[in-house]
Amino acid sequence: MKNRLPSRAGEQIDRSTILSFTWNGKKLEGFAGDTIASALVANGVTVLSRSMKYHRPRGLLTADYWDPNATVQVGDEPNVRAAHRRLEDGMVVSAQNVSPSLRFDVKAANGLVGRFLTAGFYYKTFMKPAALWPRYEKILATFAPGGKVDLNTPHGYHDKRYAHPDVVVAGAGPAGLAAAIAAAADGASVMLVEHEHEVGGHLLWGTDDDRATAAALRAEAEAAGVEILTNSTVTGRYEDNWVAIAQRSHPMAVERLIKARAKMLIVAAGTIERPYVFAGNDLPGVMTSGAVQRLIRMYGVKPGTRAVVLAANDSGAAAVAALDDAGVDVARVIGSGDRAALVKATGSSTRIRKVHMGDGTTENCDLLVTAVGWTAPTSLLNMAGDRPVYDPSAARFFPGTPPDNVLATGGITGDGTRDQLIEHGRATGRLAAGRAAVVCHRLQASTARAASVDGAEPSYPADERAALPRAPHPEMFRAATHGIVDYSEDVSSKDLFGAAAEGFDSVELIKRFTTATMGPSQGKLETVNTVAVLAEARGETIAEVGTTVWRPPYAPITLGALGGRVFEPVRVSAIQPWHEANGVTPILAGQWIRPEHYGDPAEEVRNTRTNVGITDVTPLGKLDLQGPDVPKLLSLLYTNKWMQLPVGGVRYGIMCAEDGVVLDDGVTGHLGDDHYLMTTTSSGAATVWNWIEMWLQTERPEWQVHVTPITTGLASINIAGPNSRALLGRLTDDIDLGPEAFAYMQVRTGTIAGIDDCITWRIGFTGELSYEIHVPSQHGLHVWNQLLEHGVDLGVQPFGLEAQRIMRLEKGHFIVGQDTDGLSKAPTTGMIPLLKLDKDDWAGKPEVAWVLDDDYPVVVAVQPTDPTVVPEEACQILRADTIDIVGRITSSRFSPTLGRSICLAQVSQEFSEPGTELTVLLVNGTRTTARVMEHHAHFDPEGTRLRG
Amino acid sequence: MLLVPCPNCGPRNAADLTYRGESHARPDPNTATREEWRTYLYLRDNPSGWLRESWYCSSGCRTHFQIERHTFTGELREPLLPGSKTGGES
Amino acid sequence: MADLTLTNLTPTPKTTIRAAADTAAAAELGLTFGSSERRDGDLVVRIRPDEWLVIGSTATVDALDLSGFASRIDTTHSRLLFRLTGDLAAKVMEKVCSLDFADHMTPNGACAGASVAKTTCDIVRDDVDRVPSYLVLCDTSFRDYLRGAIEDAMTEFVGA
Repeated sequence: MKNRLPSRAGEQIDRSTILSFTWNGKKLEGFAGDTIASALVANGVTVLSRSMKYHRPRGLLTADYWDPNATVQVGDEPNVRAAHRRLEDGMVVSAQNVSPSLRFDVKAANGLVGRFLTAGFYYKTFMKPAALWPRYEKILATFAPGGKVDLNTPHGYHDKRYAHPDVVVAGAGPAGLAAAIAAAADGASVMLVEHEHEVGGHLLWGTDDDRATAAALRAEAEAAGVEILTNSTVTGRYEDNWVAIAQRSHPMAVERLIKARAKMLIVAAGTIERPYVFAGNDLPGVMTSGAVQRLIRMYGVKPGTRAVVLAANDSGAAAVAALDDAGVDVARVIGSGDRAALVKATGSSTRIRKVHMGDGTTENCDLLVTAVGWTAPTSLLNMAGDRPVYDPSAARFFPGTPPDNVLATGGITGDGTRDQLIEHGRATGRLAAGRAAVVCHRLQASTARAASVDGAEPSYPADERAALPRAPHPEMFRAATHGIVDYSEDVSSKDLFGAAAEGFDSVELIKRFTTATMGPSQGKLETVNTVAVLAEARGETIAEVGTTVWRPPYAPITLGALGGRVFEPVRVSAIQPWHEANGVTPILAGQWIRPEHYGDPAEEVRNTRTNVGITDVTPLGKLDLQGPDVPKLLSLLYTNKWMQLPVGGVRYGIMCAEDGVVLDDGVTGHLGDDHYLMTTTSSGAATVWNWIEMWLQTERPEWQVHVTPITTGLASINIAGPNSRALLGRLTDDIDLGPEAFAYMQVRTGTIAGIDDCITWRIGFTGELSYEIHVPSQHGLHVWNQLLEHGVDLGVQPFGLEAQRIMRLEKGHFIVGQDTDGLSKAPTTGMIPLLKLDKDDWAGKPEVAWVLDDDYPVVVAVQPTDPTVVPEEACQILRADTIDIVGRITSSRFSPTLGRSICLAQVSQEFSEPGTELTVLLVNGTRTTARVMEHHAHFDPEGTRLRG
Repeated sequence: MLLVPCPNCGPRNAADLTYRGESHARPDPNTATREEWRTYLYLRDNPSGWLRESWYCSSGCRTHFQIERHTFTGELREPLLPGSKTGGES
Repeated sequence: MADLTLTNLTPTPKTTIRAAADTAAAAELGLTFGSSERRDGDLVVRIRPDEWLVIGSTATVDALDLSGFASRIDTTHSRLLFRLTGDLAAKVMEKVCSLDFADHMTPNGACAGASVAKTTCDIVRDDVDRVPSYLVLCDTSFRDYLRGAIEDAMTEFVGA
């Protein structure tokens, strides 16, 4: 490793562990503790990537988490931040977005035609001829940055966790560490989050004493019980301190989200060093003063051989000391805050070669180090609603007034010695703990289930911290030449001037038009320079230009972390084990896994209509209603009348929403005194329960009704067919199934297969003689098995959802949500006799009454002229010889019972008369004809089978 | 994510509740004109300022209640229980 | 360190009582909303302001005076009942539920309705011999799904 320095105290690398990796196919070596980037530079690699738009060669700029030039592909993982990701043995690392290779990239020709690729070029070029757009798209797509995604990459395990810390500290530099320790010492539960791999912040590349202090603070934090998360980022702060933490340090998941309700958030994000804008500022070999110190002190890497240093602050001097220490020849130090001092840098396609000064002299070098200023990364504070305030004397933005539950500490708020930063951190930690205690008391006192609180709420501590001083700093943003402002988005200061001249005058507009600050660092390296250049271009001050709004995420986050563990609830009935063991084809209906069929739905239909079939209808919504006012509730919710339903009686009803649209339908039975059982559609069960509670609580609080969902408390089995009475009769002694004793639309309770408290209805969705039994669900499987066992000679077979759908269609029973839609008001169903307009207030009444005078679509039964044609559901019905749509097919099947196709459809009233011929447009584009039938039922319209 | 003060449970994540929107008094369906009824169904004031709105503690105590929320500052006032209905006047 | 266990106790008898504030049943069952208490082997939970869940046997509810606006429903079959016990039980719950399980916010005996792995559940803290334990009640149809979700959340701590 030709650029590796001799070992030194405080380095993060472990020279006893050598790691092998490849870079663009070439075998290289590094040490444990290296980042990918430090290992590359140690091996003499200078060009790490090509820029997004102009494909200019790029080298390390900041050598830390925010480095914009070090994004690489590692194996099948794209967009890895090489200056942050630690090297691992066997890594296959390659450059992104280069063709054919990093060294020789044909797209670098862009650099030569830069004037056609200025900011916003895609709005202005490749517009005409429009017919060529697909070709342009293909070409432009190859210019997109970002690595390659291997679609065969196995899915990783992603995870999620909730947390309720008293204090979250974002940033573990000296101030953040001190704040975490002080808060924990005062009894707060503390999470300390740091995006680098080690805590300590800038102390890690400082003096021996700095590093010792970092180690001591770390030990103190651990001893105090602080939960320390390294390689993790506080990525968003939402209302009421809902804080999202992206944790990358967990052994089980690549990255997982911790969703924390923090009582207090402390932002200790430090400062980020700003690059300088000048011609040639993106040549490989141009670095910040921090980059140089990190490379030398943390990784033992020599960043160059001969350096020029532009030092407008102390960090420049520290960089000079580090370079001297590393044996780098420091050829020139420009210790000036004068923007005229440095004009430009020039070089080759691999490296800087020469720096041109304002006084006309030049200096040969292979390293140019800039120390021109600091940016406060205020994003988290801004997400909390704070707008930062610019201080020209310090040449940076500072926090304004964040809300009471967010505190800033350390370098982001001011300057000072290490001990001053630590003291500010401690004071902040104490303040946070004190405020968190008040919030804790308040939450506990106002939460019903919590333990009762002792004493009165403590008083809310005021913020009496002494502020850190602000060191004066010259305003050094741009030299007299134009250079790159946003390295990730390849936006130059010339682009910004151009955009301003085109009239993009507000900082929000210019951000979106040029895409400056929209890259992976989200403005942390770019915003201030962008604002400064815009101020220059417009002759305004930085304060007048202002900043853009910061939004989460704070740093790039994997989609896997946002997805977390995928929670997709599925529901199964108690009889599911039988279905699975007996060749069922399942179907997902809402959240329910249901039996679609057991092999041949047509055969299931035939058997049910000839012998007897049983089907599992457990998902059917069931609501237990008790109380003296239940009849009033039913009268309010259904369109028909319910005050006189006798015990044992069952009635069908339609429910509407307040706009008259059909909400649900079902049967409700009167079980006993003040006790009813309501059924709803399976998909409507939760909706109707919520609907009922809304009415009872908000509009009719004086009514005495208790509603309890028991959908899964009862396993429901529909026994249908000519032999259904005989079959059920074999399993019950105390329910009289005689046709007069137990007529159609009645309900009884009794014992079935030895199980007490079963409810039996005589209703008939399938149109056959049928009984729907509801059994306490833990006995559902037993009863199912008993039915099968006792019905062998009766020809009992199970049937699934598909057979049921065919049979109900044969009987013309509409399904809410299938044959009606979100605009279908109740009259569309054709159930006019059920719409009791003489009843007092019921849900939907006004709109139903009004629509009866209008032209509304109607559900009709339809049979295609050609009995073998089964139109697809949702086929349009047209006015003959036109393209005017007058309706659509809503349900359609081939009927095994009738040996022909049958449908339900919605049509406008003009086409609803029985005998009308309809034109149906099939999906394949051909038209066919169909006839409107007299009844909804295609089969047994008088219902003789049902009522037997 | 907003902490919503359920009157029974105490402060809960907004995701544990169902937001039902602006509260408006239900007109008398027997006497309301089409315009009054449809105003109730579809039109909302959408103020920048204090808004009375309905929430339902769907994951918790299942109680319907109303609160007043300032749509610009996010501030909340004490929750009202459904007894104090007539949600704001239209 | 008490290991984590997850057991399915669904067959345990459960009864739901709804009772208005002025009824004898409400006075008899008592408790503040969000709390529970063991009475002669039955666990009585005040799960909503006007709703109690009695788990264990029907002894307590059989003895109740249900006059006035009060009703009783057997929810043995409609409510799934899991028990999660162990020193790290709260940490497992934190993987699937956003409630604050710290001792002062969810003490022994506390109950609350909450979303657990996207299903709506009732959670009751019912420690066993001083080991933290949580009863999770949900609709019975979710049994396979919820067991899978909680076991997955446990894997991080098994062998810990």
